[in-house]
Amino acid sequence: MSHLRVRTREGGGGISVVYVDGYLNSLLGEEMERAVYDVVDAGGAGVVLNFEGTKLINSIGISFVIGIVERMRERNSTLAFCSLKRINQELFQMTGVSRYVRLFDTEEEALVFLAQSV
Amino acid sequence: MRLLWSHGAEFSFRPGEFFGRGEELSALLRVCLEGKSGIGASVLIYGPPNIGKTSLLLKLKLELQSLPETSAPPRPFPFYYSFSKILSHPLALSQHFLQEYLWQLLVFLGESPPASFDLEALCENLGARGHMECRDFMSAHRRYSEKGDGLSALANAFSFPFATGGNLWYPVFLFDDIQYTIKLQNISDGAIFSILRPYIKSGHFPMIVSGSSPGHVTSSLKREGLYGSFQLVEVGGLSPAASVKAWVPLFERRKIRMPEHLMGRAAARLGHVPIYQRMFAEEVSFRNGQMEDEVGFENLYALSVTEGKLNRYWREFFENAIPDRVNRARAIKFLKRVICDQFPIDTFEGAFSLMGISPEEGGEILSALEFKGLLKSDFEHIQFIRDPVLADFLYWAFERGVLGKNTPQVAASIVQSKISRAPLEEGREEHEKSAGVAKEMMRRWDCREVPALLFDFGRFREKFRGKGLLEIVIGLEGDPGKVKLPKISSVSTGYRALRGGSRFDFDLVAYGFREGDFSEENLVIWAVDVHTEKKIASAAVEHFENRCRLLSLEKGLKPGQLAKWILFEGAADPSVVDLAVRYGIHLTHRTQMRLFLNLFGMEELEKGQEETRPPEPRGGEKPLEFELVLPMKADTEVVAARVAEEVAAYASLDKDTVDRIKMAIIEACINAFEHSGSQTGKVRLRYILSPEQIELFVQDDGKGFRPSKGDDDAKRHRGWGLKLISELVDDVDITTGEHGTTVRMVKHLRSGHGEGSTTSNDEGQ
Repeated sequence: MSHLRVRTREGGGGISVVYVDGYLNSLLGEEMERAVYDVVDAGGAGVVLNFEGTKLINSIGISFVIGIVERMRERNSTLAFCSLKRINQELFQMTGVSRYVRLFDTEEEALVFLAQSV
Repeated sequence: MRLLWSHGAEFSFRPGEFFGRGEELSALLRVCLEGKSGIGASVLIYGPPNIGKTSLLLKLKLELQSLPETSAPPRPFPFYYSFSKILSHPLALSQHFLQEYLWQLLVFLGESPPASFDLEALCENLGARGHMECRDFMSAHRRYSEKGDGLSALANAFSFPFATGGNLWYPVFLFDDIQYTIKLQNISDGAIFSILRPYIKSGHFPMIVSGSSPGHVTSSLKREGLYGSFQLVEVGGLSPAASVKAWVPLFERRKIRMPEHLMGRAAARLGHVPIYQRMFAEEVSFRNGQMEDEVGFENLYALSVTEGKLNRYWREFFENAIPDRVNRARAIKFLKRVICDQFPIDTFEGAFSLMGISPEEGGEILSALEFKGLLKSDFEHIQFIRDPVLADFLYWAFERGVLGKNTPQVAASIVQSKISRAPLEEGREEHEKSAGVAKEMMRRWDCREVPALLFDFGRFREKFRGKGLLEIVIGLEGDPGKVKLPKISSVSTGYRALRGGSRFDFDLVAYGFREGDFSEENLVIWAVDVHTEKKIASAAVEHFENRCRLLSLEKGLKPGQLAKWILFEGAADPSVVDLAVRYGIHLTHRTQMRLFLNLFGMEELEKGQEETRPPEPRGGEKPLEFELVLPMKADTEVVAARVAEEVAAYASLDKDTVDRIKMAIIEACINAFEHSGSQTGKVRLRYILSPEQIELFVQDDGKGFRPSKGDDDAKRHRGWGLKLISELVDDVDITTGEHGTTVRMVKHLRSGHGEGSTTSNDEGQ
């Protein structure tokens, strides 16, 4: 349906779900960053990053994720991750990202969590 | 018959004849209903002209209107608006938009709108019934109109709907033919989106936007930062099953009989496009035609496309798209070659040279065609639509206009070609996919050296029969025979002969230059055929050779200037292989192709078809060593990861361990790419697999790398690479010397090994 590697969907209550598909390198990282900032700039209350389609993440991709985490914290917007592959979950643990963001197995769980905390 | 591009509110949409597209409809419906809770998204629908985008919108409108009234307000008010009817003046557009909106709103509210289409009257009507007060808006609009301020008038008109409704309804915009908005006088591209931006972003007002030249629209969306808010939906022909079903009501109403076995053929002949099916049914009914067999059907079809409804339909289309006669003739002649003969054109440059006119004139024609959706462009690359009816129409126009044949003659030759051709080739899609992959790969050749065995199926089979993938990879590297590929300047999808006079009768034709030297003597042409059948026949090889000879003759190619290549997927008898060898035809099987693609970092054709992995781990044997040299180019690290995956699979490692190894090697490569400052631009990788451990070496010839000190915003989060590597594998050593840096990573494969990691910097290396 879509040719985009990063897609955004409204998940309800001002929360958007951003899907990141493919190899999360600098190119995709930029796309992802733009999509998240678009949501925040438009006054969105929170973002769920869905990594289900993310095959690999490299360190540059991680740096984009960290950038997003920082920006969201600065703005007091809420953020959650969901549907991570095990290796990617490990990567977020190694880099400490998971200390600042809640990881969920499914998108629904993430949305429920954000809906409560917004 | 009413032409499609003059549709709008008066367009004769027949819901009873709407078939298929269930998936698209339910997705769109969901998007529209989500507006109620402020989570509505926006959708851009695109596709060739006449494919049924408008019907999809109108069907959606109908569905939204017929929602049960029991649900709590606000209700969605579907407002269909086509930009194709508007004049190019913004004042006229704003006026018309308001009229349409008010008119449709009154109907939606169950009121009878006034007979006149007068803005004031509509407005009063709405006010008198207590629905809303819109006088202020109207007077502002009048003021702008009097001042001639088009942009303000537009902003006023397009903001108006959002002020209506309150808690009772919310507008759902169904914007059709959006590409026309770029034709507005003195208004920049995308001004409409700029006005609508806040409403789109709000999520309360779902917008479904449809058009035939997505390139124009998506660039507007990108400029407005709205691209991310839109989902893209491409609309093509119906599914074969749905289009066969679509015949039933069309024929029933007109009491037409068509044998069931013909329905699939007929639907396919019309490209599964609903509007053609309807026109064809009208044609049959009008002529009171009989369709008892294939010939009967083909005759009626040929009649329609040469002098009947289908003909008139496309004739009017071209008259409308390109009013200038000379340009129209050029466009038709050009399109005949591209769409009908499938002349291999996929760049602007190629198109201009085929038209034989200047880029300015040619550009005008192409942009008119793009506007009407006959081609889509993506930077330098252009792609033309495939439409069997259009192809036949163009054939008629060309034969009649250029060759002076009369219509019955042309019709007869159309019938003949359709009857003589085998009905719908099976597996065509598979074939096109394979050709597409090969095409993409050839574009990347760029003078690289590859194992000659990849082009020689006979020897390849002899050497590697029954061997595992890794043994094959090693064997290929050890084989001295290499082929230096040319630099490809263009590769196009060719075509199989339709109606005589074929020149590029191949699946792919590539123009390349040896050593990357763009001179006449270094020109090489690669002719490629792709066979997806279960078994390749010797007749196919003969036929290919004959066409190659013709091409050679025609182009005056010297020996060695034409490379002949057959790609195939099924089985091949030794006699066929011998035949290819005798003719000097390169022969590559799917298994070779996978290796070939891997060299260029491309995906396999299909996963999981024939896994060539050996069954058991190779414990207890001496270490196996593999080497790989990678160019320092973005994303080539993925190739290193893939090879690591293959090596790891060889030892039957669990998925988590494989993932960790892959990530580690990716990080080591990226570090080398980014920090080494290498002169050669290459990274050498070694993978050593023993029963105890897997050892990975990533070596560059640069100056050594340190964690980046750059602290500018873009890089401030960087520098994870080495930390990650040390987490991912069991041991890390980094040695830097004057000949470069080597990162050695070890992952122990048996339990009981330490978890520590070491980092040393040995200047003596």
